[in-house]
Amino acid sequence: MDRHDLLAEVKGLLATGLRLDIPPSDIQDDSPIFGEGLGLDSIDALELVVLVEDRFHVSIPDEEVGKRAFASVRALVDFIVAERPS
Amino acid sequence: MAIDVAVTGLGAVTALGGDVPALAAALLDGRSGIGPLTLFAHAGRCRIAAQVPEPVPVALDGGALPPATVRRLSRPDRFGLVAAMQACRQAGLEPEERRAAGLWVGASVGGMRDTEEAWGRRRRGEDRRYRLSDLLGTPISTTAAVVSQALGVFGPRSTWSTACSSSALALGEAAAAIRRGQVRTALVVGADALCRLTYAGFDALQALDPEPCRPFASDRGGLSLGEGGAALVLEDLAHARARGVRPLAVVLGCGTATDAHHVTAPHPDGLGAETALRTALAAGRVPPAAVDYVNAHGTGTRQNDAMEVGVLRRVFGDRLPALPVSSSKAQLGHCLAAAGAVEAVITVLAIDGGILPPTANLRAPDAAWADLDLVRIPGRRQPVEVAVSSSYGFGGHNVSLVFGRQR
Repeated sequence: MDRHDLLAEVKGLLATGLRLDIPPSDIQDDSPIFGEGLGLDSIDALELVVLVEDRFHVSIPDEEVGKRAFASVRALVDFIVAERPS
Repeated sequence: MAIDVAVTGLGAVTALGGDVPALAAALLDGRSGIGPLTLFAHAGRCRIAAQVPEPVPVALDGGALPPATVRRLSRPDRFGLVAAMQACRQAGLEPEERRAAGLWVGASVGGMRDTEEAWGRRRRGEDRRYRLSDLLGTPISTTAAVVSQALGVFGPRSTWSTACSSSALALGEAAAAIRRGQVRTALVVGADALCRLTYAGFDALQALDPEPCRPFASDRGGLSLGEGGAALVLEDLAHARARGVRPLAVVLGCGTATDAHHVTAPHPDGLGAETALRTALAAGRVPPAAVDYVNAHGTGTRQNDAMEVGVLRRVFGDRLPALPVSSSKAQLGHCLAAAGAVEAVITVLAIDGGILPPTANLRAPDAAWADLDLVRIPGRRQPVEVAVSSSYGFGGHNVSLVFGRQR
């Protein structure tokens, strides 16, 4: 799967997985996933860890890694590409 | 000096609409909210229910509840919260009054349907792990947590679960807290939503009528399940007056008593139900002859309706044929833990509006109570000074509430 497809898949996972009332295309590549934009909170963060780990077979073991992985959709794609089993 | 308890705000989210005016209008139209069960698949004898039509949006005015929390609310939490917001708005409760208020909630299964969905997705292999957002509404105390956070209620908070009398009991307890001076203002909420387990349980018990329920009818064959949320603001009458708020009614008394008889069937002689009603009347110093409307539990099961008429006959005696009685469940289904609050709202509407709601689906009353004044569609315009609402829960949890007009 190339990065473009991954970007779309991650956005789809955010929108449908977290049941956001927005189309995936409204999610920006470089905006922070947490913070103002999408209105996500700490429960969403816990849920997103499970969703991303189960879908992409990566591990987000602690907050440090989570902060890096969830900096933006693009950062999350970078994280998945770097960490997922080949 | 004794404290009187006023009702100053009402809220309701039911199969008949998203607010109290919609409920009131539909009740008098004789409209029924019972239709096909579409919330989930059910293999069994019965496929109907009184479902709350979606959407039931939560207005975020004030912004006390974060949008992320609102997005994840279970259906019963949304029903309860929206009803609570309506009731507080009607009562004109300012933030500082809500801050000192207490919250009494009646609930039974909470967000069980979301829990069932989560379990189903895991079982089908769609989710490898449980989803946190599906489990947040599982504890039945979540409704109270959500309502208090959204409305800024910081006083005593409790959740009552006595099957189908849960929110009637919550109301009685809230009124008692005002009478003993614990709080001046109390928010009462009943909330329940349909789920597979509840539906399957009632169906397995053969308590459900495959056709819409027909309370008090000769051919009644069981109850219809419903869902919804309702809320009432109760407050010290003197406090309501000082705020310049018009009381819609007063809570005269609450009585509760148990059957200690059977896990589902009511005591055939209505022992607990009769004690509950007599206790409620005595608490309000209301002679039976003063009651001029009864909003019955009236589920439409063979046992309940026969038991309930027996209780009314013993308590009201020769006067019973002149006492209008109706059950709202033919239009709303049995809203279980929310039923007590929903029917308390209806009873207050009867007093405040001088309008008796009907019993729908009642073509031929049972011959055993052909003498009863069962209100028919389209209801009746008639002043009501004192009205009773009774709720009887499985396991013999009986509660009667007596409301009166504030003169």
